[in-house]
Amino acid sequence: MSSSVLICDDSNLARKQVLRSLPEQWQVDIKTASNGREALTLLRDNSVDVLFLDLTMPDIDGVGVLQGIQKLNLDTAVFVISADIQPEMQNKVMLLGAKAFLRKPVNAEVLTSNLQQHGYI
Amino acid sequence: MTLSFCEKVTNQLNSGVIVLDLDYRIVFWNNFLAIHANKQFKDVCDLSVYDVFPELPKRWFERKLNGVKQLNSPSFCSWEQRHHLFELPHTRPITTDSHYMAQNVTFTPIEDKGQLTHICILIEDVTDVCHYQTMLRKTLDDLAMANRIDGLTQVYNRKHWEECLAQEFARARRYDADLALIMFDLDHFKRINDNYGHQCGDMVLIETAKVIEELIRISDTFGRYGGEEFAVILPETGIAGALDVAEKIRQRIEDIALLFNEEPINVTTSIGVATIGDDDFRYEDLIAHADQALYEAKALGRNQVAVNKTLIACV
Amino acid sequence: MSAFNLNEDQQDCLQELINVAMGQASDQLARYLDTFVDLRVPSIEQVDASSLSITLNDKTLASAIVSQGFFGYEGIRGEALLVYQSQDSLQIADLLGYEPGELSEEEQLIDISSILTTTFLNVFASQIDNQMSYSAPRLLSASQNPLVEHVENLLFHWDLALKVKITYRVTDFSFNCDMILLIPESAISNIKSVLDRILEEF
Repeated sequence: MSSSVLICDDSNLARKQVLRSLPEQWQVDIKTASNGREALTLLRDNSVDVLFLDLTMPDIDGVGVLQGIQKLNLDTAVFVISADIQPEMQNKVMLLGAKAFLRKPVNAEVLTSNLQQHGYI
Repeated sequence: MTLSFCEKVTNQLNSGVIVLDLDYRIVFWNNFLAIHANKQFKDVCDLSVYDVFPELPKRWFERKLNGVKQLNSPSFCSWEQRHHLFELPHTRPITTDSHYMAQNVTFTPIEDKGQLTHICILIEDVTDVCHYQTMLRKTLDDLAMANRIDGLTQVYNRKHWEECLAQEFARARRYDADLALIMFDLDHFKRINDNYGHQCGDMVLIETAKVIEELIRISDTFGRYGGEEFAVILPETGIAGALDVAEKIRQRIEDIALLFNEEPINVTTSIGVATIGDDDFRYEDLIAHADQALYEAKALGRNQVAVNKTLIACV
Repeated sequence: MSAFNLNEDQQDCLQELINVAMGQASDQLARYLDTFVDLRVPSIEQVDASSLSITLNDKTLASAIVSQGFFGYEGIRGEALLVYQSQDSLQIADLLGYEPGELSEEEQLIDISSILTTTFLNVFASQIDNQMSYSAPRLLSASQNPLVEHVENLLFHWDLALKVKITYRVTDFSFNCDMILLIPESAISNIKSVLDRILEEF
């Protein structure tokens, strides 16, 4: 069975970077969102297994999405992929239930090992 | 010791190159330093930079190099903020006033296989730049001053005085503040010139300017408006305060004891006072009102203070 | 539309590169300064010479401006302007860990400017496999509003420029400053080829 994946980032380039970094053998059905509001709508209306989430976005940002997920009580696994890598921000998103914090630009090996670690591949 | 090609080239530079290891020991310096610090490289090799240059501000230097190491980025020190870092003699010992070479210093990280291994210090001799810049700055300051000062009396000239008035006027309008203007003209000045000559007239103007400048407050702006006419801007001053100052000016000028060729010269002045009113939209309005009052004072017999007519009711 | 305008993909790519550089730079700065540093999402816009001074002028009076040139391989070059308000410069000694009176205010400004500029641009350069060199930072003026004047002097050299504005905030020290990167017309086309190369890889 393939996993349902959502990539949320306001940058087209960043979405492509994530897409290209996903392990080849991973059977996935991929959706994308370019801001937090779009992502929350997709999350609410679909069952999403894994969310790759940027933090700095217009409208609703990554932190807002994490809060929304908690409010909607979804069991989506969130991997934050962010340019803002200061420890304060990492702590904040981990407390909001993110599975892992990956720094941008995302690296395929790091992404794969994180997915393995959490049992998604 | 055989020199590498790069070392030979570095020795031709008219700038100093010092390379330090991470413990701040000197591992290289070029000919420029051998000459200017008057020490051969072999005599300083492996010595701490602090031992070779005890004048270095150690805390500052350490902080600077820490930044270079930690952020892996260059850092700079310009003569404009710190004239020199290293006490090296310069090549223009006679024409400059500093003992040491003015320097621009750059600190850059040197990496080997992604690891920071050394710090390179580049020292540029900018004594000439410093010298000419300093001269230029002084000349510009002198020029700016000369532009504002009346050559004869050494008080503000009309152009600068009017600029000050324009500013004070705008401020008073904006904050609804008081502003007064005093304009005064020496009585029968033409007679002094005719009877005693222009040298005497000049002397009277100079002495008048001197005593009035001593009299006015620091916040007031005093200038020569033209010929034998002077003017004072009094910010935050109402009519009563302005009249008080005007009367002091009148009295002071009457009291000056001037001698020309051992002959006493008597001088008096007629003074016009105006304060900013609701109908004054331009600073020129205020000048016109003070001027009108000044003519009034002349018409009433000179050596007295007059207030602009529109204000008389308030006094 | 001018031939120098970035297309949507190029703009997105540059924005993302800058965001990532901003993140890493603020992390490095936070470690160095030992406090949380917030870099706000920058604005990138194409400005022409005549409107540049107007777009810069919308800010309140700057108390000090420090300029530092940067240049890398592949013809990437420009000038960074660090713009400070008077209340910001009072915080710098604290921020850099200097004793009161140890350094003149001017020297502090130069120091912090150089740190902010080189940290950000080094990270940015490494993302595009480049390496930056820098000219010594220069204090343009410690009073009045010299930003527009300075920019007007620059205009002799270019008609169009890319303007990137980044705002630094160090909340613990109530320190803010704006970094404006001006990239002249001739360098824009070089940046565009670099961006195209990156985009091609995806």
